[in-house]
Amino acid sequence: MNDSSLKIYRLLLFVLIGGLAWAVLPFFASVLVMLIFSFLFTTIFLPSVDSLERKIHSRSLSVIVIIGGTIVGFIWFLGSFATNIGAQIKQFSTKIQQDDFALSLEGLSNKVQSILPSFLTNLIPESDEIIERSQESLSGLFQNMLSLLSATGSLFFIAVMTLIFTIILLVEYHDFKRTLVRFIPNKYLEVGLRLIYNIEQQISKYLRGQLMAAGSVALLSIIGLFILNQFGANMTLIVFIGVIAGFANLIPMVGPFVGMVPAILVALMNNLGSDMALTHQLFGLIPSPFYVLDIIFMFIIVQQIDNNLITPILVGESVGLHPMIVMIVLLIGGTLMGPLGMLFAVPAAGVLKVILHEINFISKNSHLL
Amino acid sequence: MKAIWENIFRKGPTDDPILYAIHQVPIFEHLNGKELNEIARLTHERTYKIGESIFKKLAPGEGMYVIIHGSVSIKDPDTDMVFAQLKSGDFFGELALLDEEPRSATAEALEPSKLIGFFRTDLLTLMHRSPELGNKILINLSRVLGERLRQTNTALAEKSS
Repeated sequence: MNDSSLKIYRLLLFVLIGGLAWAVLPFFASVLVMLIFSFLFTTIFLPSVDSLERKIHSRSLSVIVIIGGTIVGFIWFLGSFATNIGAQIKQFSTKIQQDDFALSLEGLSNKVQSILPSFLTNLIPESDEIIERSQESLSGLFQNMLSLLSATGSLFFIAVMTLIFTIILLVEYHDFKRTLVRFIPNKYLEVGLRLIYNIEQQISKYLRGQLMAAGSVALLSIIGLFILNQFGANMTLIVFIGVIAGFANLIPMVGPFVGMVPAILVALMNNLGSDMALTHQLFGLIPSPFYVLDIIFMFIIVQQIDNNLITPILVGESVGLHPMIVMIVLLIGGTLMGPLGMLFAVPAAGVLKVILHEINFISKNSHLL
Repeated sequence: MKAIWENIFRKGPTDDPILYAIHQVPIFEHLNGKELNEIARLTHERTYKIGESIFKKLAPGEGMYVIIHGSVSIKDPDTDMVFAQLKSGDFFGELALLDEEPRSATAEALEPSKLIGFFRTDLLTLMHRSPELGNKILINLSRVLGERLRQTNTALAEKSS
């Protein structure tokens, strides 16, 4: 068999395997998601486990301490969040039943109509319609929450399986790596080791940088909301809003806007019925009913500090992708897998970049292997 | 199936061929059994056929090899000049633990051989996981390289005199 026909056969085999993998992917998609999550969690916890192992000389115990501590912290946060949000919703539902709610919405509608130019006011529905629509939206929201609860069952299963995979991976990480290396042919051993190491470094640097940036955004948001409270914004659940904003920040470009939503909702919930909040003006100039513009402005400042100061220092050139490429991979990730896809898009593109770099290196130096 | 006393009365590191080979390498000198075990966990066992290249001249170097059994020739492929023929217990390529410079010679298996590889990425992992052990290895490595430099200087002095 000559070289060109061998190449054609290889290409056909590659296409066949690729097609087959694409066909069976839906059946294994959830397992794949669990494995990807486990790998990412492993990468996040690995340095802590390694460093604790150094001190207590037991890997299993180190994994139990680190994972156990994280789970306890997470449950405490969720429990405390649920209690607080429960109280908030209870308070809000009492408020909805009062006439103030309809009055405030009417006031808000009139306020917006007075601000906007006349040709736009025609596009805004009447206040009665707004109230009707708001109540419809609220009932729709509760229905969505119910369907979300039914999905929680499968989510719980995925979370438990991801946890088990993460624990196994953390305990056996270095042995798994050695087993993986055993499958690399002698010819590609050194290149393969370098590839694995570079991928590890890329993901670990990116995740650590992102987590630190998320922590900073959370802290800055908490400080910002606290300052807004000094100006009478009447914000509650400040710590939770800050943490949510921090986590949302993990999704580049879209996340920061998602982070604003809970803050605006809480401001609306807390200030409905308050005339002072309804007529509030940002800097005494721009009308900002219920402090909505203040909150948006505060989050923009946090984002600017994060984008121009914190992220460049903490994350730096960890992934080294052009902003245009980041936007494209975010769109692709979002289209393929929704918010999860957006979360993984940038690190996945970073890994792909490392692989392509190594393939380029191998093709240039194939005579040396 | 292993009898339980095989675990209870585990013998010293010299019974395991990998640990025995590592134990003999000056780079892993003065390490206790536990540290040697940690190194062994990071190394990669490889088998090579007769005539198979372990690495080629000018390829980027990633780490060192220790011969468990078999023999390896270190040669210049351009001139076919053989610099050394190494056998069980010998090691080579240790300079690549420190830098990414291209290999200065080709290493080829002269017979079916079993080698263990210890690479720069493993050393970096070790330095992160266990800095004390990593430092011991770096000091040993410096000593080996210093000794090589001293020998080269002596050989040059003898040649010029």
